[in-house]
Amino acid sequence: MIYFIIFIVLIVFVILFFVSIYNALIRLRNQVKNAWSQIDVQLKRRHDLIPNLIETVKGYMTHERQIMENITKYRSQAMNAQTVGEKAQAESLLSGALGQLRVQVENYPDLKANQNFLALQEELTATENKISFARQNYNDQVMMYNNKIQMFPSNIVAGMFNFKEEEFFELKDQTEKEVPKVSFS
Amino acid sequence: MWELIQSNKRKSLILFFGMGALLILIGFVFGSYYNSETGGAVGVLFAILLWMILSAVSYFGGSKILLSVSGAKEVTKEIHPQLYNVVEEMKIAAGVPYFPKIYIIDDPAPNAFATGVKPENSAIAVTSGLLSTLNRYELQGVVAHEMSHIINRDILLMTFAGMMLGAIALMSEVFFRGMYFGGGSRYRSRSSSKSSSGQAQVLIMILAIVLAILGPILAQLFYFAISRKREYLADASAARLTRYPEGLASALEKIANSTHTLRTANKITAPMYIVNPLKKEGMKLADLTSTHPPISERIKILRALQQGISYKDYQKIYEMISGKKEKIIPDSALKEAIPITPLQSAFTKEKDFNPVEAKRQTGDILMKMNDYQFINCSCGVRIKVPPDYNKSIVVCPRCGRKHSINNLSS
Amino acid sequence: MICPVCNESMIVLELNKVEIDYCTNCSGIWLDKGELALLYSVDESENDLQKLFAESSSVNEKSYKCPLCRKRMKKIQFNNSELVIDKCPDNHGLWFDKGELEKVLTLKSTASSQKILELLKDMFSYNKSQEAE
Repeated sequence: MIYFIIFIVLIVFVILFFVSIYNALIRLRNQVKNAWSQIDVQLKRRHDLIPNLIETVKGYMTHERQIMENITKYRSQAMNAQTVGEKAQAESLLSGALGQLRVQVENYPDLKANQNFLALQEELTATENKISFARQNYNDQVMMYNNKIQMFPSNIVAGMFNFKEEEFFELKDQTEKEVPKVSFS
Repeated sequence: MWELIQSNKRKSLILFFGMGALLILIGFVFGSYYNSETGGAVGVLFAILLWMILSAVSYFGGSKILLSVSGAKEVTKEIHPQLYNVVEEMKIAAGVPYFPKIYIIDDPAPNAFATGVKPENSAIAVTSGLLSTLNRYELQGVVAHEMSHIINRDILLMTFAGMMLGAIALMSEVFFRGMYFGGGSRYRSRSSSKSSSGQAQVLIMILAIVLAILGPILAQLFYFAISRKREYLADASAARLTRYPEGLASALEKIANSTHTLRTANKITAPMYIVNPLKKEGMKLADLTSTHPPISERIKILRALQQGISYKDYQKIYEMISGKKEKIIPDSALKEAIPITPLQSAFTKEKDFNPVEAKRQTGDILMKMNDYQFINCSCGVRIKVPPDYNKSIVVCPRCGRKHSINNLSS
Repeated sequence: MICPVCNESMIVLELNKVEIDYCTNCSGIWLDKGELALLYSVDESENDLQKLFAESSSVNEKSYKCPLCRKRMKKIQFNNSELVIDKCPDNHGLWFDKGELEKVLTLKSTASSQKILELLKDMFSYNKSQEAE
């Protein structure tokens, strides 16, 4: 009888222990989701700004059609991307293309003085900063969540209830890889 | 986070009480100067009451009254998109749910402060001079520093201590004004200078004058002793939030090299600012570093954060540069390590910053805040009409187009 | 800003990033410190208008008050010519009666003042054409 009670108590403790681990995992996963939605808001904001930007820039820039086409292409790629990895890749390409455009703006003093463009430039800068800051926050959360999934004993609970590691969101700077070819003929 | 304010709390409290004692002493001496028998007690009562009223007002009135004292006006995203964006960026970086209100003070001296008792009703105020001297990265650094004060909950203690300093400064000023306009017992003490009570009066008078001069300086020393570590901590947090310590470093440099002085109307709020605004006309702030965490040292530490920008790195660099083994960062914060990834957006570069143009734009913002009406004439002239303009039509001097004005005042 | 001559509020005019305060009543122009800086930045070389003037006590024009500090402004004279403008004693800015600013710029015709002059002529081209009629 006494062994039975000890056994029951032990079982209860183990269950309680697992429940607490389970709850911790859920909390971390929600934090990751929340952090991701922060990034998503800012990425959407950037996608919304791009048609405006192209419209404003088009009238001034004549030699940069390739860059503008790339921006439009990467934007739709990014919007259709499903996984975090795909998104990250498309967004990196988009950032790179926007960076190229920025370099070319230097050749158009009239564009640089355009009020509309200046306002858009501030919005894009702010949005890119917000993406970076939100990304930093997201990656910190993912790090904590993944650590919990990998470490003993929480890895047992994670395995039982199918908690999967989340991907980091890494944007790589593409500007150096693709040097734009612009002819000034 | 809570530990950041708990840390070093005892030392802060001792300094806080020291400041209180100074306040009481000043109240007693000033009171005695006007009436040697009962004045002392009345003076003490008055001093404490003044401090309590100022504190209560800033506690319950939240940031509103403090801000209106400094002539601050709230700005929306429409008026100053960049400032609004920078604050939002810091909110996202810190991952906090609250959004501080943003205010602009019309003053050419570059400076900033944070206020509000709870983070939920906090506010960040910057001067127009700050906006016209700093580029985006520098502004971000300053906003991050102020945001850190809010997150670390420094503002509560700093508000109470700041109000004490304000009360002392106010009393000294009232005392000097009183003397200047021929205050009470000056004549009495002169006429009865041979009696012993007259001698006591002279002594009290000398003491009062000495206290009126030294009191605010001493109080400031107390205040900055309280706030010193919090300034370093806010610098460390700002570097962590922005991941770009150079922004704050070069902002501090610009603020320190400014020769503008904040107007005296802001005397009560003076101690709340990012750098001490109390200085003599034309004198560079950098000369006054002894009463404040030396700005040059703050800049040096920020610039030395090359390897990493975690709290641990900041503590290490602090010890190296100051040569002191003092703990600036609480233990709990020292455990974390964050790799440095300096942030540089592709879309705004340092060279885009044109100081003359920035001044003009800040002028526009101030006009917008003061209900000027902006008319963009299609010939290219921008006409800015003050709210008290007394005609209903303005003719563009360039092309002759007539623009009607919506008179807001009527 | 209040016009020192007629005490009415002035409007601000901006063209090519240069700003001036203009009184629609008397057509006078007020240039404060910041606006002068904007004006000089039209050209890189610092063409300091104020250096061309000397203080004059012999002028008996009515004196005005600085719209910023309300102090009585000083009369300053250009190269002993007829041309006299008003200057705030605390350097808050310069006041030009109708047409005076143009005259100053034509008298001192350097490359940089030429640019500023053209800008001003452009800014007031409608008013000029009205006067001609």
